[in-house]
Amino acid sequence: MKTLRVIAVGWLIHFKIMSRSPFAIGVGATWPIVNATLAYFMYRAGGYPQTLLYASLGSAVAGIWSMAAIDASGAIQRQRWWGTLELLVGAPVPFALVLLPMAVAIASAGIYALATTLLWGRLVYGIPLPLEHAVAFVVAVPVTIASIGVLGFALGMTLVRFRTASHIGNSLEYPVWIASGLLFPLAVLPAWSHPISLALAPTWGMRALLHSALGGRAWLDIAICLGLAAAYTAFGIALLERFMDSARRHATLSLT
Amino acid sequence: MTNLRIFFVGGLISYRALFNWLNPWIFVPTLVVGPIFQVLFFAYLGRAAGVESDRFYVIGNALQLAALPGLFAMTFTITGERYSQTLGPLLASPANRAVLFLGRALPVSANAAAVCVIAFVGGAVLLHVTLPAASLPALAVVIAATAVSCTGFGFLGGAIGLRIRDAIVLINLLDAALLIFCGVNIPLESLPDWMRAVGEALPVTHGLAAAREIADGATLGDVSHLLLAELAVGAAYAAVGYALLRYLEQAARRNASLETA
Amino acid sequence: MAAVIEAHDLKRTYKTTTGVVRRKPLEVEAVRGISFAVERGELFGLLGPNGAGKTTTIKMLITLLLPTSGTARVLGHDVEREPREVRKRIGYVFGGDRGLYERLSALDNLRYFAELYGVSGRRQRERIGEVLELVGLTGREKERVEGYSRGMRQRLHIARGILHDPEVLFLDEPTIGVDPVGARELRATISELVRAGKTLLLTTHYMFEADTLCDRIAVIAKGSIVGQGTPTELKSGVTDGRVTEIEVFGVDDAAVERLRAIDGVTAVAVEEQEQKQLLVVQTTGARELTQALLTELGGASVGRVSSREPTLEDAYVALVTAE
Repeated sequence: MKTLRVIAVGWLIHFKIMSRSPFAIGVGATWPIVNATLAYFMYRAGGYPQTLLYASLGSAVAGIWSMAAIDASGAIQRQRWWGTLELLVGAPVPFALVLLPMAVAIASAGIYALATTLLWGRLVYGIPLPLEHAVAFVVAVPVTIASIGVLGFALGMTLVRFRTASHIGNSLEYPVWIASGLLFPLAVLPAWSHPISLALAPTWGMRALLHSALGGRAWLDIAICLGLAAAYTAFGIALLERFMDSARRHATLSLT
Repeated sequence: MTNLRIFFVGGLISYRALFNWLNPWIFVPTLVVGPIFQVLFFAYLGRAAGVESDRFYVIGNALQLAALPGLFAMTFTITGERYSQTLGPLLASPANRAVLFLGRALPVSANAAAVCVIAFVGGAVLLHVTLPAASLPALAVVIAATAVSCTGFGFLGGAIGLRIRDAIVLINLLDAALLIFCGVNIPLESLPDWMRAVGEALPVTHGLAAAREIADGATLGDVSHLLLAELAVGAAYAAVGYALLRYLEQAARRNASLETA
Repeated sequence: MAAVIEAHDLKRTYKTTTGVVRRKPLEVEAVRGISFAVERGELFGLLGPNGAGKTTTIKMLITLLLPTSGTARVLGHDVEREPREVRKRIGYVFGGDRGLYERLSALDNLRYFAELYGVSGRRQRERIGEVLELVGLTGREKERVEGYSRGMRQRLHIARGILHDPEVLFLDEPTIGVDPVGARELRATISELVRAGKTLLLTTHYMFEADTLCDRIAVIAKGSIVGQGTPTELKSGVTDGRVTEIEVFGVDDAAVERLRAIDGVTAVAVEEQEQKQLLVVQTTGARELTQALLTELGGASVGRVSSREPTLEDAYVALVTAE
């Protein structure tokens, strides 16, 4: 019970901090629109109007990942600037329970991205949002966000130990978009990369969103997404102790 | 002589201090991995949409990536100085402004050209895109010109960064603008007139057009007007950026509005 | 009874690099073998100049840094092998503007840290009220921290540090940059905490603060302890005499030599000040030597004469510059 409480409070606090950051929300909510616009142009030019919804949802999820990857890295670095990283590490609560809700909160701010992108698609390009399985859709959204948050957690972990990891975070933007089939189907990618794609939780989250909107086995996708996310979490937590010890040894918790 | 020292030494040290590019952990992800994946992303998107060819996206994105160091490095130059609190002392120094900032521009341009080439080569190899060998020297010239022009564009970002705290937001928007308006991923002919007009006023557009023509067999002479246009655009932005810088500096002295802290 | 905080030969080395293109590794010894013990209920001070290793020492004790060698125990728990046990029982407060979430209210900050530091759900509201009361911020807790003054932030820091009612509190330069009135209030709060039975370790470079607050002090310079004891012990350890300051207008070297020759005078320093000189004479023993000094100065014009006890500052300067 206490664990759940810590996670819930942590999530709330960091979501609040994120929401009060005009920069984060500004970029987070507008960047997906850029991707969406590009995708719309290209898909329309190619004559695939039904895939415009795909582009819409995909850009939003892509935006959520950018938020998680870039901002999770930024968040750790910001905690260093703010002087709060040491306080978080120095708390008796296991650091995993601090980092995990933080990463998920950051991904959750992507809800703004989802809203603005879908709205943009509707208003500017007239793309409707059919909801074949509305309930599944509503469930798929937080599940996808959580699964992306967990990936962000893994990234944040490396950042506590390695100060330069934020740059790696930035360059993971496009790779995950590609591998998760966010803006184009996996069929376009070389066959050898498919196992990698299928091992990424966001891939299944994306499928869940698509299938619940257009029809398909959304609940199966949701289940697999959750399962993978749980696996990453367990793996991440197991590694975290090692990372923390290393961070303490190499004095990377503070700015200098 | 002093100016030359400021130009080279000052430029290199500040660049290294901020972008830390000699650290492979930063250099490789930001300037190699990220760019190559950008090329791949749009190439695959193009395949899925059935629009244009792999070659189209490789050339387009590689050239657009020349703006990456220009935009971000120049802004980081300013904001980084602010964070390390050296901006105040820097502006208070008697060093010639033009030489100081031009000094920083040199490594940035070199960096921009390098990123462009890396993205080009990476994308071409991974997507099996070939270019006629004869066109490569001309292409190199185009890349150099675009790199310089993008660095000039970055001057504007630097000047803006002097005034606005979260200039990075604006810089991201500029980066996005380049992706949309310059014919990088959407052919210029397919863009509505107003968007094409915006593209004409941005860097990369002309350089990219030149690169595409060269890839199709044109010579350097055929595209010289495009190259000149590209350099002119870059110079214009550099001039505006520099003027803005001086103006803001003077204004700040009058009413302490410079974000030096 | 076992000491509450024990440090045995703590050492900490940092690795950095120098050079622009070809980087050479450089090892910096921040802490070179520090040992001390703090008893229950004590207010122990670590006094030293900037860069002496105070912050590094504290960070090792609060488990944020691993010592390169040596051991430390807090309340019997080893800081390296039992970090969680240590963290449950200690609080950490540091000076400066950082360490708080600016965009949140003080209340939200306290709520978050209360959760992280294990204050039970039911107790939280009550406890937050208590700490706000103790530091004098009741009524301001709903405001965003970004609007707080430095003094208020410091008080909020302390509030955060004691939320989980730790037995031991570590304070790293808590009054740095705070105005004199605010600093005085902070010191009063700190004294309150000691009176309530807590054990405190305080680092500072303010003499006055160490002198008035601390039961015992360790003076740190360049990573090593150069002196340890109560403030009185430290002061007497260096000079057990007096310092006399005499303003003169035009004194010659011969006169200064005569002063040095007086029995009981240990040192005479001459400070040139615009139109006069200030003679700073250190003497041993309790004897009043002012008369003898003035006699030796003979015909020179003498201005103000003052005599004072050696301060902790004199002792500190002597200790820190001794090497």
